[in-house]
Amino acid sequence: MEFSGKRVLVTGSTRGLGLAAARLFLERGAEVVVHGHDGNGVARAVTGLARDFPGRVEGYPADLCDRAACRRLAQQAGAVDALVNNAGVFLEGAIAEVDQALWQRSFAINVTAPWILARALLEPLRERRGVIVNISSDAGLLGYPGISTYCATKGAIIGLTRALAIELAPEVRAICVCPGPIETDMMRQSLEATPDPAAAREVWEAYPALRRVAQPEEVAEAILFAASPRSSFMTGNLIVADGGVTMGKRV
Amino acid sequence: MNIDYSGKVALVTGAGRGLGFAIASALHRAGASVAINDRKPETVAAAIGKLGGGNRLTAAPADLARPGGPEAAVEAAVKRFDGLDLLVNNAAVNIERPIEETDDAHWDLHLDVVLRASFFTMKAALPWLKQAKGNVVNIASELGLHAIPNNVAYVTAKHGLVTMTRALALELARDGVRVNAVCPGPMDTELMRDLANASPDPAAYYRALEASGPLGRLAKPQEIADFVLCIGSPAASFMTGAALAIDGGLSAGRL
Repeated sequence: MEFSGKRVLVTGSTRGLGLAAARLFLERGAEVVVHGHDGNGVARAVTGLARDFPGRVEGYPADLCDRAACRRLAQQAGAVDALVNNAGVFLEGAIAEVDQALWQRSFAINVTAPWILARALLEPLRERRGVIVNISSDAGLLGYPGISTYCATKGAIIGLTRALAIELAPEVRAICVCPGPIETDMMRQSLEATPDPAAAREVWEAYPALRRVAQPEEVAEAILFAASPRSSFMTGNLIVADGGVTMGKRV
Repeated sequence: MNIDYSGKVALVTGAGRGLGFAIASALHRAGASVAINDRKPETVAAAIGKLGGGNRLTAAPADLARPGGPEAAVEAAVKRFDGLDLLVNNAAVNIERPIEETDDAHWDLHLDVVLRASFFTMKAALPWLKQAKGNVVNIASELGLHAIPNNVAYVTAKHGLVTMTRALALELARDGVRVNAVCPGPMDTELMRDLANASPDPAAYYRALEASGPLGRLAKPQEIADFVLCIGSPAASFMTGAALAIDGGLSAGRL
């Protein structure tokens, strides 16, 4: 199988896109290191995945705001062939409402943790000619009102991907996947925070040219492609899997 | 450049030297009242002295990466000039370092000064910018559009500044506040000379930098400053959310 003998760390993989990617890696032969912020979530995900893929799953909780915890996670993950920096937070707020805490938390999880993990895993990634897959967003390419902090983090991780790619080539490749809206808990939470979740959902669904939101598995395929030798001539590049959001707008 | 800034108030961050000083100087020549920000009060005082002093200049020293820094800089400007029409987020650090030699402090410094300080200075300035239907020019970089080696923290921060500009432009459009980013290529500034001097062979570093661009030279800070004045003026009244390369052709492709 494509990923037999390969070891992959997927951050934020107890649910949503990360969990879908973890499952797909396992289906294609990889050993997967699951990560989540709380121990119960990690245990649940690992138990669920290990039922189908015994002996190839392990998991560690870590608070990615805590740099020591990030470095510990890298150590626990050990000799990986691919690092998938998927964990992220979507913290909304118009500029007047954004405080230092919101900014710092957004950057710690969405930008600094991917950097610290990449830095800490440099040696095995180099030795194994590995791949770093970062997850940005259509919001890393387009601006949106009310989420300027999130947009800044997602633009920053595109920069991080390019900077890693250009400096670590040819041993290590780095690719950035930019999803549009995905059917995940992150989206559900964002919808539930609105006065009319059903109406908000319709807005989301009308938004991509494909007129629906993605299932996590559809974007996980792009992550798998990025992490696999099938993308061997890609580095510092973006894979935009957004249902057509960034190509333009129907008027 | 013949853009008239008479009666307008501008705050330029990192205006003690280099591009920031060139922008402040050009704004002042064009008739604006200019608040000069830099980290150290003595740097600010020296810049004001170089500009000849007078009642259209004021000191707004503050470390913008520190808590309270952005508010202090904005307050110094609006207290003296009673309003704010233009914020130029220019303050930056750029220390080249291979990934292996990059530590947490280096990472934080770049993200804090380039990105977080710009955001919170804009937040602090927002009430006055709304009142004046003013605008913001964020000084990003060609490195907000693509990457070079040995500059991971700077490239990351400048990319973030470009998308932040787009988001805030959309958020503030209906308030009549424009937000744009300028992406300069290498300039003949003190910062660039610092980078050169930090390299093993400064002269060779400088020559390589000059040769790397299609125009075969570095920008004079004045060339970028003129462009910033244009964007900050009614000449660019239909421009918002743009990230404009002014980089001697660097981001157009590869030679």
